Amino acid sequence: MARMKFICDAERCIECNGCVTACKQENEVPWGVNRRRVVTINDGVAGEKSISVACMHCSDAPCMAVCPVDCFYRTEEGVVLHDKDMCIGCGYCFYACPFGAPQFPQAGAFGMRGKMDKCTFCAGGPEKDNSKEEFAKYGSNRLAQGKLPACAEMCSTKALLGGDGDVISDIFRDRALKRGKGAEVWGWGTAYGKPDNPQQQAPKGAKS
Amino acid sequence: MSENKVKLSRRNFLLAVGAGGAASAAAMVAKTVPQEQPVAIEGDKKSTKGYHASAHIRNYYRTAKV
Repeated sequence: MARMKFICDAERCIECNGCVTACKQENEVPWGVNRRRVVTINDGVAGEKSISVACMHCSDAPCMAVCPVDCFYRTEEGVVLHDKDMCIGCGYCFYACPFGAPQFPQAGAFGMRGKMDKCTFCAGGPEKDNSKEEFAKYGSNRLAQGKLPACAEMCSTKALLGGDGDVISDIFRDRALKRGKGAEVWGWGTAYGKPDNPQQQAPKGAKS
Repeated sequence: MSENKVKLSRRNFLLAVGAGGAASAAAMVAKTVPQEQPVAIEGDKKSTKGYHASAHIRNYYRTAKV
């Protein structure tokens, strides 16, 4: 069974925010909610790096662990989704997530929280695939249509890779080998587990 | 003779009751066993008709290799 993953290649991301726009448009995400955003490190300084961040669909998801109503579930493809009918908007998942993925619409005064909203890997929710109800709550279900997340497909430099983890990690590995640097993937260890050999040194002269 | 017939009919009655009881017990067991096993039911939110390597997706992987 394929396992869905995102990887963002920091050597290729040009901070165009095309992924953010594609996500907003595809899923009709409401104002104030950003399922995906581009983070730039050392902005304005030579050698700045940008990465596109959203839910990483963690293998051991902390949001799932802390949810008091157990509204999260993982699909057979490893996509972490949640049931908005069960969500009570407590915000525990927001505090637990190391990527700031869970979002809360400001539904009223005094910062009142609504139902949590987050990246679904364009895989919808528990409702019937591609139904009106599913779209209204979770947005597009592109996976059921034989497509991949809009953000990854729309990325002009193919910095943001999404899809079968085996395939995209092979693509990323080829890139890192060809350019001889940039093998590190930010957030990978946090989301998907630590490497088997943490003592392994980066090749000499490598820069990420 | 008639006494024998009566005895036989009583035995038949007891046999029928026994067989009926065994059949109903077997039916109950058959009914409960599948419920104990995890069954992929339609509408189960974890089982999706999600990812399949369509031509569209293969094309995406091809372009990402560039």
